[in-house]
Amino acid sequence: MFVYGRIGLVLLALVAALVWFLPSYYTGLLTQIGLYALVTIGLNLFMGYAGQVSLGQAAFFGIGAYTSAALAVKLGLTPWAGMVAGAILAAVAAYVLSFVALRLRENLLALATLALGIVINVVFNQWEFIGGSSGFKDIPGFALGSYTFDQRAYAILAWALLAVGLWFAGNVVRSGFGRALIAISAGELGAQALGVSAERLKRQTFVLSAVYAGVAGAVYASQASYIDPSGFDFLLSVNFVLMSVIGGIRSLSGAVIGAAVVVALRQLLQTTVPLVLPSARGDFQSFFFGIILIAMLIYLPRGITSRMSEARRA
Amino acid sequence: MIESIWQYILAGVVVGAIYALIAAGFVLIYQVTGLINFAQGEFAMIGAMTAASLATAGMPVFEAAAIAVAAAALTGALCYVLAIRPARAATGVTLIFITLGLDVALRGLGLFVWGTNPLSLDPFTGGSAITVFGGKLPPQAMWVLLTDVAVFGALYLFFRHTYAGTAVRAAVANPPIASTFGIPLRTFAFWSFVVAAAIGGLGGVVIAPITSATYDMGLTFGLAGFVAAVLGGLESLPGALLGGFVLGIVTKVAGGLFSTGWEEAVGFVILVLVLVLRPQGLLGRAVRRA
Repeated sequence: MFVYGRIGLVLLALVAALVWFLPSYYTGLLTQIGLYALVTIGLNLFMGYAGQVSLGQAAFFGIGAYTSAALAVKLGLTPWAGMVAGAILAAVAAYVLSFVALRLRENLLALATLALGIVINVVFNQWEFIGGSSGFKDIPGFALGSYTFDQRAYAILAWALLAVGLWFAGNVVRSGFGRALIAISAGELGAQALGVSAERLKRQTFVLSAVYAGVAGAVYASQASYIDPSGFDFLLSVNFVLMSVIGGIRSLSGAVIGAAVVVALRQLLQTTVPLVLPSARGDFQSFFFGIILIAMLIYLPRGITSRMSEARRA
Repeated sequence: MIESIWQYILAGVVVGAIYALIAAGFVLIYQVTGLINFAQGEFAMIGAMTAASLATAGMPVFEAAAIAVAAAALTGALCYVLAIRPARAATGVTLIFITLGLDVALRGLGLFVWGTNPLSLDPFTGGSAITVFGGKLPPQAMWVLLTDVAVFGALYLFFRHTYAGTAVRAAVANPPIASTFGIPLRTFAFWSFVVAAAIGGLGGVVIAPITSATYDMGLTFGLAGFVAAVLGGLESLPGALLGGFVLGIVTKVAGGLFSTGWEEAVGFVILVLVLVLRPQGLLGRAVRRA
């Protein structure tokens, strides 16, 4: 019952120990993995368990980041409050959008969430109050009393949130709610016939996934101390999908693995590819990410974790 | 005021013609394979970038255009053979993700091959701007519109007046029965990718002199073509044509009157409205729910 909570605690302990030895650059990467994993857990609940698809998850991550940054910069609120507000606003956005998006299925749902993600990105770009295309600079960091967070504290915060997120999601998927979600993904009509309100459950899961993304986004804004709209674009949504697929779309621990693999791969590509091809610039790693995504779906459609659990059973 | 709106409408017609071409590619693939190809816009990028780089290197523009369309068609063929066919047993969401992977992979490939700098392509023919009721169109606009006439005309003739076109329509109407009559569904799926890619590539080539070509133009054009296809009901080529022009005109007028930064959002707001209020598209008939 508490297996995911325990996994989360072990990972947290590991990270809390590691940050004292790692250079701060790698500590930053650990934070990134923790936050992305949090988003991916939410995405896996919505895509893997409920059988839906979202190509706009970066928008909720962005809403969390922008809410927290705007409250901190404009009103001087603490990022702790910003984190809560970011989660709430992402949830509200998901709730409202769900009335449009969740009427659609598969192809059109993918298209609609992709479109909503881009519309929200256009809003980030055009709304001068939240910085327009230049975004926010000098976003205040988290603090506890007089202690201001350094990179180590952010890594621990991110993985503590991840532990809570894993524990909560673990309980969700093992509850009646989780079984009802799986029933929906197997066939909405059949689930309805068994008394599952597909519409309500899909909406609740969509909102929950937005809360995960919103919290992660809020922490990201303070940790990076700088955000602009280009950080929350379509490619980030594709990255989230990739993390989800690599780890296994219907797996919670897979979300952590997927996030770690994608972040590590991105670093590796950014350092090695320019050595071979000096002209490589920009987001060229998307070339490899696209091919990896396709290859995973053809050869290992249920993700790395499916292979691991098969090995355990054998 | 009226003159500037007329000018926006003319600009909308030009981009709308390209959206219609990309939408036609969506419709072809969707009709034959039931698949929404998120990589569709990248074919336009490949076409535009290939033509622009060849012409910059000194090749005559029509030869460059022909090679660019062939390059796009080849890309479409490779996409089908390497990514779609191996996964044909997969279900809906997996196939969506695969075409999404194709999209980012092709975009990354464009970045590798051509870098981040925009490339420009000279108009096919020189001459001064064409005046239409006081509004001005660049000479290249004639080529854009001619391309639409040629492509949609050819598609019409193919589907209505050839044996193969009739076979494709049969395959769309009822795949299992068509298959028992010896209609090769898989071959058609392959050719739908090739033809859709060639049409998209052609769209990219003819618009490149107006918008210039960049490695990341595919997403914008792809999504616009997508919206146009949905406006047209996703299953109809005349719908794609109409949807392209409607989308082009509405976004250019809205962008011109308010702010060009919002142009992209306008298209998607239309998309969402259509999906919710009229999922069968502008021309489609409502399907009665059982």
